[in-house]
Amino acid sequence: MSPSQASEDFDYEAALFACAQGDRQALARIYQRESRYLLGVALRIVRQRQYAEDVLHDAFVSIWQRAMTFDATRGAARGWIYSVVRHAALNWVRSNSRDVQVDEEATSALQDGMALDAHAERSDAGEVRVSLGRLDTCLEQLEDGRRECIVLAYVDGCSHGEIAARTGNPLGTVKAWIQRGMRSLRECMA
Amino acid sequence: MTETMNPRPDDDIQSLAGEYVLGTLSVVERADVEKRLPGDAALRSAVDAWEERLHPLVALAPPAEPSRALWPRIERSVAPLSSAPAASTAPQRPVAPEQRTGWWNSLQLWRGLAGSGFAAAAVLAAVLVTRSFAPAGPQYMVVLVAPADKAPGWVVQTAARPAGGGTQQLSLIPLGNTPVPEGRSLQFWTKGNDWRGPVSLGLVTPGRSIRVPIEQLPPLEADQLFELTLEPANGSPIDRPTGPIQFIGRAVKVL
Repeated sequence: MSPSQASEDFDYEAALFACAQGDRQALARIYQRESRYLLGVALRIVRQRQYAEDVLHDAFVSIWQRAMTFDATRGAARGWIYSVVRHAALNWVRSNSRDVQVDEEATSALQDGMALDAHAERSDAGEVRVSLGRLDTCLEQLEDGRRECIVLAYVDGCSHGEIAARTGNPLGTVKAWIQRGMRSLRECMA
Repeated sequence: MTETMNPRPDDDIQSLAGEYVLGTLSVVERADVEKRLPGDAALRSAVDAWEERLHPLVALAPPAEPSRALWPRIERSVAPLSSAPAASTAPQRPVAPEQRTGWWNSLQLWRGLAGSGFAAAAVLAAVLVTRSFAPAGPQYMVVLVAPADKAPGWVVQTAARPAGGGTQQLSLIPLGNTPVPEGRSLQFWTKGNDWRGPVSLGLVTPGRSIRVPIEQLPPLEADQLFELTLEPANGSPIDRPTGPIQFIGRAVKVL
Protein backbone atom coordinates (compact mmCIF):
# COMPACT_ATOMS: atom_id res chain seq x y z
CA MET A 1 0.00 0.00 0.00
CA SER A 2 1.51 3.32 -0.97
CA PRO A 3 0.73 6.49 0.94
CA SER A 4 -1.27 7.79 -1.97
CA GLN A 5 -3.44 4.72 -2.17
CA ALA A 6 -4.05 4.94 1.52
CA SER A 7 -6.00 8.11 1.14
CA GLU A 8 -8.54 6.63 -1.21
CA ASP A 9 -10.25 4.11 1.00
CA PHE A 10 -9.81 5.63 4.42
CA ASP A 11 -11.84 8.51 5.75
CA TYR A 12 -9.24 10.62 7.55
CA GLU A 13 -11.68 13.37 8.26
CA ALA A 14 -14.11 11.00 9.93
CA ALA A 15 -11.23 9.52 11.95
CA LEU A 16 -10.17 12.97 13.19
CA PHE A 17 -13.75 13.83 14.01
CA ALA A 18 -14.02 10.60 16.02
CA CYS A 19 -10.77 11.49 17.83
CA ALA A 20 -12.27 14.85 18.72
CA GLN A 21 -15.19 12.92 20.24
CA GLY A 22 -12.81 10.89 22.38
CA ASP A 23 -12.81 7.70 20.31
CA ARG A 24 -9.40 6.15 20.87
CA GLN A 25 -10.04 3.45 18.29
CA ALA A 26 -10.07 6.17 15.67
CA LEU A 27 -6.58 7.24 16.70
CA ALA A 28 -5.52 3.59 16.54
CA ARG A 29 -6.89 3.34 13.01
CA ILE A 30 -4.91 6.38 11.91
CA TYR A 31 -1.83 4.87 13.53
CA GLN A 32 -2.35 1.51 11.84
CA ARG A 33 -2.84 3.18 8.54
CA GLU A 34 -0.13 5.78 8.58
CA SER A 35 2.45 5.15 11.28
CA ARG A 36 5.07 3.62 9.00
CA TYR A 37 4.84 6.50 6.54
CA LEU A 38 4.72 9.09 9.29
CA LEU A 39 7.72 7.54 11.04
CA GLY A 40 9.48 7.57 7.68
CA VAL A 41 8.85 11.31 7.38
CA ALA A 42 10.00 12.00 10.95
CA LEU A 43 13.03 9.73 10.69
CA ARG A 44 14.24 11.48 7.57
CA ILE A 45 14.16 14.79 9.42
CA VAL A 46 15.46 13.87 12.88
CA ARG A 47 17.76 11.09 11.59
CA GLN A 48 17.83 8.97 14.72
CA ARG A 49 15.23 6.31 15.17
CA GLN A 50 14.83 6.70 18.88
CA TYR A 51 14.17 10.44 18.55
CA ALA A 52 11.95 9.90 15.51
CA GLU A 53 9.79 7.59 17.62
CA ASP A 54 9.68 10.20 20.38
CA VAL A 55 8.57 12.76 17.82
CA LEU A 56 5.90 10.43 16.46
CA HIS A 57 4.69 9.73 19.97
CA ASP A 58 4.40 13.43 20.73
CA ALA A 59 2.74 14.07 17.39
CA PHE A 60 0.08 11.41 17.98
CA VAL A 61 -0.69 12.83 21.40
CA SER A 62 -0.91 16.19 19.70
CA ILE A 63 -3.22 14.85 16.97
CA TRP A 64 -5.44 13.45 19.70
CA GLN A 65 -5.55 16.69 21.61
CA ARG A 66 -5.93 18.97 18.62
CA ALA A 67 -8.30 16.86 16.50
CA MET A 68 -11.12 19.22 17.37
CA THR A 69 -9.27 22.15 15.85
CA PHE A 70 -9.04 20.43 12.48
CA ASP A 71 -10.94 22.43 9.89
CA ALA A 72 -11.74 20.62 6.67
CA THR A 73 -12.36 23.89 4.87
CA ARG A 74 -8.67 24.68 5.25
CA GLY A 75 -7.14 21.53 3.85
CA ALA A 76 -7.25 17.76 3.73
CA ALA A 77 -7.29 15.72 6.92
CA ARG A 78 -4.42 13.52 5.83
CA GLY A 79 -2.30 16.57 5.07
CA TRP A 80 -3.10 17.93 8.51
CA ILE A 81 -1.91 14.74 10.17
CA TYR A 82 1.35 14.83 8.21
CA SER A 83 1.90 18.47 8.99
CA VAL A 84 1.53 17.84 12.73
CA VAL A 85 4.25 15.19 12.48
CA ARG A 86 6.52 17.25 10.23
CA HIS A 87 6.35 20.35 12.40
CA ALA A 88 6.98 18.25 15.51
CA ALA A 89 10.06 16.82 13.79
CA LEU A 90 11.18 20.25 12.56
CA ASN A 91 10.77 21.83 15.98
CA TRP A 92 12.77 18.98 17.44
CA VAL A 93 15.56 19.25 14.94
CA ARG A 94 15.76 23.05 15.12
CA SER A 95 16.00 22.98 18.91
CA ASN A 96 18.56 20.18 18.93
CA SER A 97 21.20 21.39 16.56
CA ARG A 98 22.69 18.33 15.03
CA ASP A 99 26.26 17.74 14.06
CA VAL A 100 26.30 16.60 10.51
CA GLN A 101 29.25 14.49 9.55
CA VAL A 102 30.89 15.26 6.28
CA ASP A 103 30.58 11.72 4.93
CA GLU A 104 26.97 11.65 5.76
CA GLU A 105 26.40 14.98 4.06
CA ALA A 106 27.82 13.81 0.79
CA THR A 107 26.03 10.47 0.85
CA SER A 108 22.69 11.95 1.76
CA ALA A 109 22.90 14.63 -0.91
CA LEU A 110 23.67 11.92 -3.40
CA GLN A 111 20.83 9.77 -2.14
CA ASP A 112 18.40 12.61 -2.38
CA GLY A 113 19.38 13.31 -5.93
CA MET A 114 19.04 9.65 -6.72
CA ALA A 115 15.70 9.34 -4.98
CA LEU A 116 14.33 12.24 -6.92
CA ASP A 117 15.68 10.95 -10.22
CA ALA A 118 14.45 7.46 -9.52
CA HIS A 119 11.11 8.90 -8.65
CA ALA A 120 10.98 10.90 -11.87
CA GLU A 121 11.90 7.86 -13.92
CA ARG A 122 9.70 5.33 -12.23
CA SER A 123 7.20 4.22 -14.81
CA ASP A 124 5.36 1.64 -12.76
CA ALA A 125 4.64 4.02 -9.92
CA GLY A 126 1.75 5.77 -11.55
CA GLU A 127 0.04 6.46 -8.26
CA VAL A 128 3.11 8.16 -6.81
CA ARG A 129 3.33 10.38 -9.84
CA VAL A 130 -0.33 11.14 -9.48
CA SER A 131 0.16 12.00 -5.86
CA LEU A 132 3.01 14.39 -6.68
CA GLY A 133 0.88 15.67 -9.50
CA ARG A 134 1.32 19.28 -10.37
CA LEU A 135 4.18 19.65 -7.90
CA ASP A 136 6.15 17.10 -9.85
CA THR A 137 5.84 19.05 -13.08
CA CYS A 138 6.68 22.29 -11.36
CA LEU A 139 9.69 20.82 -9.54
CA GLU A 140 10.99 19.51 -12.82
CA GLN A 141 10.86 22.98 -14.26
CA LEU A 142 13.13 24.32 -11.53
CA GLU A 143 16.84 24.41 -12.13
CA ASP A 144 18.58 21.45 -10.50
CA GLY A 145 20.24 23.41 -7.71
CA ARG A 146 16.99 24.96 -6.60
CA ARG A 147 15.04 21.76 -6.74
CA GLU A 148 17.65 19.97 -4.68
CA CYS A 149 17.62 22.72 -2.02
CA ILE A 150 13.86 22.48 -1.70
CA VAL A 151 13.86 18.71 -1.41
CA LEU A 152 16.73 18.75 1.11
CA ALA A 153 14.82 21.23 3.22
CA TYR A 154 11.38 19.65 3.03
CA VAL A 155 12.26 15.97 3.08
CA ASP A 156 15.49 16.00 5.10
CA GLY A 157 14.72 18.93 7.37
CA CYS A 158 17.99 20.63 6.44
CA SER A 159 18.62 24.21 7.51
CA HIS A 160 20.07 26.75 5.05
CA GLY A 161 23.50 26.11 6.55
CA GLU A 162 23.21 22.34 6.23
CA ILE A 163 22.11 22.64 2.63
CA ALA A 164 25.06 24.90 1.90
CA ALA A 165 27.41 22.38 3.51
CA ARG A 166 25.87 19.43 1.73
CA THR A 167 25.72 20.93 -1.73
CA GLY A 168 28.95 22.91 -1.50
CA ASN A 169 27.21 26.17 -2.37
CA PRO A 170 27.63 29.47 -0.51
CA LEU A 171 24.98 30.15 2.12
CA GLY A 172 23.76 33.27 0.31
CA THR A 173 23.29 31.34 -2.90
CA VAL A 174 21.30 28.65 -1.12
CA LYS A 175 19.03 31.23 0.49
CA ALA A 176 18.46 33.01 -2.81
CA TRP A 177 17.81 29.76 -4.68
CA ILE A 178 15.25 28.67 -2.13
CA GLN A 179 13.49 32.04 -2.25
CA ARG A 180 13.38 32.05 -6.04
CA GLY A 181 12.59 28.38 -6.29
CA MET A 182 9.66 28.75 -3.92
CA ARG A 183 8.39 31.76 -5.84
CA SER A 184 8.57 29.82 -9.11
CA LEU A 185 6.80 26.87 -7.53
CA ARG A 186 4.00 29.05 -6.32
CA GLU A 187 3.57 30.68 -9.70
CA CYS A 188 3.75 27.33 -11.46
CA MET A 189 1.14 25.79 -9.17
CA ALA A 190 -1.22 28.75 -9.14
CA MET B 1 13.72 47.67 -8.82
CA THR B 2 11.21 49.34 -6.61
CA GLU B 3 9.64 45.99 -6.10
CA THR B 4 12.88 44.47 -4.90
CA MET B 5 13.52 47.27 -2.45
CA ASN B 6 9.96 47.41 -1.19
CA PRO B 7 8.55 43.95 -1.57
CA ARG B 8 4.81 43.81 -1.36
CA PRO B 9 3.59 42.59 2.02
CA ASP B 10 2.10 39.59 0.27
CA ASP B 11 5.57 38.54 -0.90
CA ASP B 12 6.87 38.73 2.64
CA ILE B 13 4.01 36.63 3.92
CA GLN B 14 4.42 34.09 1.13
CA SER B 15 8.11 33.84 1.72
CA LEU B 16 7.74 33.49 5.49
CA ALA B 17 4.91 30.96 5.18
CA GLY B 18 6.79 29.04 2.49
CA GLU B 19 9.97 28.73 4.51
CA TYR B 20 8.03 27.88 7.64
CA VAL B 21 6.43 24.93 5.86
CA LEU B 22 9.65 24.08 4.04
CA GLY B 23 11.40 23.93 7.42
CA THR B 24 14.29 26.33 6.88
CA LEU B 25 13.36 28.83 9.59
CA SER B 26 15.34 28.92 12.82
CA VAL B 27 13.74 27.85 16.05
CA VAL B 28 13.08 31.48 17.00
CA GLU B 29 11.57 32.32 13.61
CA ARG B 30 9.40 29.20 13.79
CA ALA B 31 8.17 30.25 17.21
CA ASP B 32 7.43 33.70 15.85
CA VAL B 33 5.34 32.29 12.99
CA GLU B 34 3.49 29.99 15.36
CA LYS B 35 2.77 32.93 17.58
CA ARG B 36 1.40 35.02 14.70
CA LEU B 37 -0.73 32.29 13.12
CA PRO B 38 -3.78 32.36 15.38
CA GLY B 39 -4.30 36.08 14.83
CA ASP B 40 -3.05 36.48 11.28
CA ALA B 41 -5.50 35.15 8.69
CA ALA B 42 -3.32 36.06 5.71
CA LEU B 43 -0.31 34.23 7.10
CA ARG B 44 -2.50 31.29 8.07
CA SER B 45 -3.96 30.89 4.63
CA ALA B 46 -0.51 31.24 3.06
CA VAL B 47 0.76 28.48 5.37
CA ASP B 48 -2.22 26.28 4.56
CA ALA B 49 -1.61 26.74 0.85
CA TRP B 50 2.08 25.88 1.21
CA GLU B 51 1.26 22.81 3.29
CA GLU B 52 -0.99 21.62 0.52
CA ARG B 53 1.43 22.47 -2.28
CA LEU B 54 4.43 20.70 -0.77
CA HIS B 55 2.61 17.83 0.92
CA PRO B 56 3.17 15.38 -1.97
CA LEU B 57 6.92 15.46 -1.20
CA VAL B 58 6.31 13.34 1.92
CA ALA B 59 6.12 10.42 -0.50
CA LEU B 60 9.88 10.73 -0.99
CA ALA B 61 10.60 9.59 2.59
CA PRO B 62 10.90 5.80 2.67
CA PRO B 63 8.50 4.17 5.15
CA ALA B 64 9.93 3.01 8.48
CA GLU B 65 8.18 0.44 10.64
CA PRO B 66 7.74 1.75 14.20
CA SER B 67 8.84 -0.49 17.06
CA ARG B 68 6.11 -2.54 18.69
CA ALA B 69 6.41 -0.53 21.88
CA LEU B 70 5.43 2.75 20.26
CA TRP B 71 1.67 2.33 19.99
CA PRO B 72 1.25 1.08 23.58
CA ARG B 73 3.27 4.09 24.66
CA ILE B 74 1.02 6.47 22.72
CA GLU B 75 -2.02 4.71 24.13
CA ARG B 76 -0.75 5.18 27.67
CA SER B 77 -0.16 8.86 27.01
CA VAL B 78 -3.60 9.57 25.59
CA ALA B 79 -5.46 7.44 28.11
CA PRO B 80 -5.45 10.05 30.87
CA LEU B 81 -6.53 12.67 28.34
CA SER B 82 -9.36 10.60 26.94
CA SER B 83 -12.19 12.21 28.76
CA ALA B 84 -11.06 15.72 27.95
CA PRO B 85 -11.96 16.11 24.26
CA ALA B 86 -15.32 14.42 24.60
CA ALA B 87 -16.28 16.15 27.80
CA SER B 88 -15.58 19.64 26.61
CA THR B 89 -17.40 19.32 23.30
CA ALA B 90 -19.91 16.59 23.97
CA PRO B 91 -23.18 18.18 22.97
CA GLN B 92 -22.33 19.78 19.66
CA ARG B 93 -20.08 19.08 16.70
CA PRO B 94 -16.56 19.83 17.85
CA VAL B 95 -15.97 23.20 16.28
CA ALA B 96 -17.97 25.23 13.86
CA PRO B 97 -15.83 26.52 10.97
CA GLU B 98 -15.94 30.14 12.02
CA GLN B 99 -14.89 29.30 15.55
CA ARG B 100 -11.86 27.44 14.38
CA THR B 101 -8.94 29.70 14.66
CA GLY B 102 -5.72 27.79 14.47
CA TRP B 103 -5.10 24.77 12.41
CA TRP B 104 -1.58 23.66 11.77
CA ASN B 105 -0.49 24.80 15.18
CA SER B 106 -0.78 24.28 18.83
CA LEU B 107 -3.11 26.99 19.92
CA GLN B 108 -4.08 26.30 23.47
CA LEU B 109 -0.75 27.55 24.68
CA TRP B 110 -1.08 30.75 22.72
CA ARG B 111 -4.62 31.44 23.77
CA GLY B 112 -3.56 31.03 27.36
CA LEU B 113 -0.51 33.20 27.11
CA ALA B 114 -2.08 35.90 24.99
CA GLY B 115 -4.81 36.26 27.58
CA SER B 116 -2.26 36.72 30.30
CA GLY B 117 -0.31 39.40 28.48
CA PHE B 118 3.01 37.68 28.95
CA ALA B 119 6.11 38.07 26.88
CA ALA B 120 4.89 35.24 24.76
CA ALA B 121 7.63 35.13 22.18
CA ALA B 122 10.34 34.82 24.79
CA VAL B 123 8.40 32.14 26.52
CA LEU B 124 7.83 30.04 23.43
CA ALA B 125 11.45 30.36 22.49
CA ALA B 126 12.28 29.05 25.92
CA VAL B 127 9.87 26.18 25.51
CA LEU B 128 11.28 25.18 22.19
CA VAL B 129 14.83 25.37 23.42
CA THR B 130 14.06 23.34 26.49
CA ARG B 131 12.43 20.64 24.40
CA SER B 132 15.91 19.22 24.15
CA PHE B 133 15.46 17.70 27.56
CA ALA B 134 11.74 17.20 27.32
CA PRO B 135 11.14 13.99 25.44
CA ALA B 136 8.04 11.84 25.41
CA GLY B 137 4.93 12.00 27.52
CA PRO B 138 2.65 14.79 28.59
CA GLN B 139 4.59 17.97 29.08
CA TYR B 140 3.82 20.75 31.43
CA MET B 141 4.92 24.29 31.42
CA VAL B 142 4.80 26.89 34.09
CA VAL B 143 5.50 30.57 33.71
CA LEU B 144 6.49 32.00 37.06
CA VAL B 145 5.53 35.63 37.35
CA ALA B 146 6.20 38.30 39.95
CA PRO B 147 3.00 38.66 41.99
CA ALA B 148 3.08 42.46 41.84
CA ASP B 149 3.45 43.25 38.15
CA LYS B 150 2.93 39.80 36.59
CA ALA B 151 6.30 40.09 34.88
CA PRO B 152 7.49 36.64 33.85
CA GLY B 153 10.75 35.75 35.57
CA TRP B 154 11.19 32.02 35.18
CA VAL B 155 9.86 29.14 33.14
CA VAL B 156 9.45 25.64 34.47
CA GLN B 157 9.26 22.83 32.05
CA THR B 158 8.61 19.24 32.89
CA ALA B 159 8.49 16.05 30.97
CA ALA B 160 6.52 13.25 32.53
CA ARG B 161 8.09 10.22 30.96
CA PRO B 162 6.29 6.93 30.59
CA ALA B 163 7.27 4.08 32.87
CA GLY B 164 10.85 2.91 32.44
CA GLY B 165 11.82 5.98 30.44
CA GLY B 166 14.52 7.24 32.78
CA THR B 167 14.66 9.87 35.46
CA GLN B 168 11.83 12.30 35.61
CA GLN B 169 13.13 15.82 35.69
CA LEU B 170 11.90 19.29 35.94
CA SER B 171 13.79 22.29 34.64
CA LEU B 172 13.64 25.80 36.01
CA ILE B 173 14.90 28.31 33.49
CA PRO B 174 15.51 32.00 34.22
CA LEU B 175 14.18 34.59 31.79
CA GLY B 176 16.36 37.26 33.38
CA ASN B 177 18.47 37.93 36.42
CA THR B 178 16.66 38.17 39.72
CA PRO B 179 18.54 40.17 42.35
CA VAL B 180 18.47 38.61 45.80
CA PRO B 181 19.42 40.63 48.90
CA GLU B 182 22.66 39.77 50.69
CA GLY B 183 22.26 36.89 53.10
CA ARG B 184 19.02 35.64 51.57
CA SER B 185 18.26 32.91 49.09
CA LEU B 186 15.60 31.92 46.59
CA GLN B 187 13.86 28.66 47.35
CA PHE B 188 11.83 26.68 44.85
CA TRP B 189 8.59 25.00 45.96
CA THR B 190 5.73 23.06 44.49
CA LYS B 191 2.36 21.94 45.70
CA GLY B 192 -0.32 19.84 43.99
CA ASN B 193 -3.97 20.65 44.56
CA ASP B 194 -4.51 17.78 46.96
CA TRP B 195 -1.19 17.82 48.74
CA ARG B 196 -1.14 18.64 52.41
CA GLY B 197 1.68 21.10 52.05
CA PRO B 198 4.34 22.40 49.69
CA VAL B 199 7.49 20.47 48.92
CA SER B 200 10.87 22.16 48.57
CA LEU B 201 12.66 21.58 45.29
CA GLY B 202 15.81 23.25 46.55
CA LEU B 203 17.65 26.54 46.46
CA VAL B 204 18.03 28.46 43.25
CA THR B 205 20.87 30.67 42.07
CA PRO B 206 19.51 33.83 40.41
CA GLY B 207 19.99 33.80 36.64
CA ARG B 208 20.94 30.13 36.57
CA SER B 209 18.77 27.28 35.41
CA ILE B 210 18.51 24.12 37.43
CA ARG B 211 17.18 20.65 36.86
CA VAL B 212 15.48 18.81 39.65
CA PRO B 213 14.75 15.08 39.73
CA ILE B 214 11.13 14.63 40.71
CA GLU B 215 10.89 10.86 40.95
CA GLN B 216 9.90 11.09 44.59
CA LEU B 217 6.95 13.36 43.92
CA PRO B 218 3.45 12.37 42.83
CA PRO B 219 2.94 12.71 39.05
CA LEU B 220 2.69 16.26 37.86
CA GLU B 221 -0.77 17.57 37.31
CA ALA B 222 -2.39 20.52 35.65
CA ASP B 223 -2.69 23.54 37.97
CA GLN B 224 0.09 22.31 40.21
CA LEU B 225 1.51 25.32 42.00
CA PHE B 226 5.13 26.37 41.72
CA GLU B 227 6.74 29.28 43.51
CA LEU B 228 10.01 30.90 44.42
CA THR B 229 10.19 32.48 47.84
CA LEU B 230 12.77 34.65 49.55
CA GLU B 231 14.30 32.70 52.42
CA PRO B 232 17.28 32.81 54.80
CA ALA B 233 20.66 32.07 53.21
CA ASN B 234 20.37 28.32 53.78
CA GLY B 235 16.74 28.06 52.90
CA SER B 236 13.60 27.89 54.97
CA PRO B 237 14.26 26.38 58.42
CA ILE B 238 10.92 24.59 58.29
CA ASP B 239 9.14 22.46 55.73
CA ARG B 240 7.25 25.31 54.18
CA PRO B 241 8.03 28.79 52.87
CA THR B 242 8.65 31.49 55.45
CA GLY B 243 9.43 34.46 53.21
CA PRO B 244 7.58 36.49 50.59
CA ILE B 245 6.71 34.96 47.23
CA GLN B 246 8.96 36.32 44.47
CA PHE B 247 7.52 34.37 41.55
CA ILE B 248 4.49 32.14 41.25
CA GLY B 249 2.69 30.14 38.58
CA ARG B 250 0.63 27.06 37.86
CA ALA B 251 1.34 24.13 35.55
CA VAL B 252 -0.32 24.10 32.14
CA LYS B 253 -0.26 21.05 29.90
CA VAL B 254 1.38 21.80 26.58
CA LEU B 255 1.86 19.83 23.44
